Amino acid sequence: MTHTPPPLLQVRDLRVRIGERTVLQSVCLDVPAGALVVLMGANGSGKSTLGMALAGHSSYQVGGGQALLGGQDLLVLPAHERARAGLFVSFQSPPDVPGVKNNLFIRTALNAVHEARGQPPLDAFDFLAGAKQTAKELGLPEALLGRPVNEGFSGGERKRNELLQLALLQPRLALLDEIDSGMDVDGVRAVVALVQRLRAQGTAFIVVSHYLTMIEQLQPDAVLRLDQGRIAETGDMELARRIARTGFVRQPQAAEV
Amino acid sequence: MDSAQADILAAREHLRDQGWIARRSEAFHHLPPPALPDWLALHDDAPPLDGPGWTLGQGASGVQARWLDALDPAQRAELLAGLPRPGEGEAAPFAWAHRALCREGLRLHVAATPQRGPVCLQLHHRPRTRAEAPLLVLDIAPGAHCVLIETHEADATRPAVAQNLHAHIRLGQGARLQHLRIATPRADDRVAHHLHVELAAGADYAQALAATGSSYHLQRSHITLQGAGASARQAALLLLGGGQIDQQTYTDLQAAQCISQVETLALAQGRAHAVANARTRIAPGSDGANVRQRLTGVPLAGHPRLILRPHLEILHDDVQAAHGATWGALPEGALFYARQRGLDEAAARALIIEGMANALLERCLGPGDGLLAQWLHSGWLARAIAQQLHPREEARHG
Repeated sequence: MTHTPPPLLQVRDLRVRIGERTVLQSVCLDVPAGALVVLMGANGSGKSTLGMALAGHSSYQVGGGQALLGGQDLLVLPAHERARAGLFVSFQSPPDVPGVKNNLFIRTALNAVHEARGQPPLDAFDFLAGAKQTAKELGLPEALLGRPVNEGFSGGERKRNELLQLALLQPRLALLDEIDSGMDVDGVRAVVALVQRLRAQGTAFIVVSHYLTMIEQLQPDAVLRLDQGRIAETGDMELARRIARTGFVRQPQAAEV
Repeated sequence: MDSAQADILAAREHLRDQGWIARRSEAFHHLPPPALPDWLALHDDAPPLDGPGWTLGQGASGVQARWLDALDPAQRAELLAGLPRPGEGEAAPFAWAHRALCREGLRLHVAATPQRGPVCLQLHHRPRTRAEAPLLVLDIAPGAHCVLIETHEADATRPAVAQNLHAHIRLGQGARLQHLRIATPRADDRVAHHLHVELAAGADYAQALAATGSSYHLQRSHITLQGAGASARQAALLLLGGGQIDQQTYTDLQAAQCISQVETLALAQGRAHAVANARTRIAPGSDGANVRQRLTGVPLAGHPRLILRPHLEILHDDVQAAHGATWGALPEGALFYARQRGLDEAAARALIIEGMANALLERCLGPGDGLLAQWLHSGWLARAIAQQLHPREEARHG
């Protein structure tokens, strides 16, 4: 008898509101380890809300449902413990962290995660050597490691900086929220290469994107369309191509994964 | 009676006649200083001086240093030579009290050494008696460039003190001074530091202050830009886990094309009480003056009192001036970002506070290298923040 492991991420009937407005009505989805799911949807459909709610942002109030990561209930954990459990959410607009050098920020984060995993902390020299090499691979200028986090970075540099953190933190599940916006062609190639490398190591991905070119290259296992706070359609690359051709045509009936 | 004794007696008589700082004083009414007797020891019973007082780090070429005894008439005359008599302003009683109590001082002269780069000095002061009035006189020669780190740090091995410190700093034409000051008294110390700074034409002065609270803590700077093209930047980082601090910055632009920037960041919690005053006066004839004041107060926890008082007095038309005061929280976006990357609440807050503090100091002093960079990256800020602010864990659930 074969045993099928449960999906890495299991979201059931997740309901989220921001203030008085309910943004996610009822979201259900499964993401197995190493899988890649593309999440598409019109503006305001709730894609970013899903990421922020899973990440534990206090402005996104969970009204019900469940989100398990590796069997662990994410929704009862504070934000940092969700991250230490292996959840990485890249920000659509990564904020400035004034005065905090990028390399210090990333090393502090990395060591917090290492500590949670029972791994020894990285010293500054070891960290910097690895960070420089990874930054080079991602096309992020090395000088940005010594500058305050995201301060004065271009849109593309901010996104590459998210990729750098993703590459170093090596999470179990990464939700990339429009990681390709503001990226040039080389940047998109860097995203694809990194995602493929991490998938091969078992990292699962939820990728929010509007652009077919990158989605094609990512070779997703599933494409989901989010509409009015629910998963309205589930499909494969053909769904992404249809959306690219015809836009987000509302379907009369909602479907779940 | 010798001239030193006569000078001391005259100062005491002046204080007796004119009295101490009025409680309704504009500058001091938010945090009135302790009464005059706290700042005066009885000279006849003055204990012998103990401890090092002013100590200067490793010698640097181009520096002349003289430790002078203010009770010796000849040395007192040398120590006070060229310094103004205490006047009649709001803070003058402190200056008179200083004259009455001052027993020692250090005079430093920094010569220009253009071929060797900046002269780097580390100056530390450790109290020598329970009530004292140390004096520092620093002359930076025309064209000289000096980096000075001046520290006054708490020491649990000594008793609480009342310290009325005065420093007179004069920058010659084209001189430059990058001045980092650390003032972290014991919780039960009463401390009043008065800096009097004069800038000749083209001189450049940058003062970054990092200070913590105590039972009374005054940091008062009066900077006069006397020559055309002089510029002064002042940044104050006030870290208050408790106690109080009164930071007063007075800047007087008296010539054309002068620049002044004043920035304060007060981070406080509990029942701490901080007052930040910035007063800048642009005198008639100060063509092209450029003045900025930015005061920021961030209450971190509890119910601290943060009073921010920017003030401009503009007596000339052709100037640029801006000022503002902001009360606010730590940047929520940055805090959440750090937590999403695995930092717990306390670590995220500490990192962001340290970043804000670092940014403030670097804006004033420049990223720099050598001594300043060494200090800025020494971990002092992280330790001070941990000691003073004890960020609290406040787990948030989405």
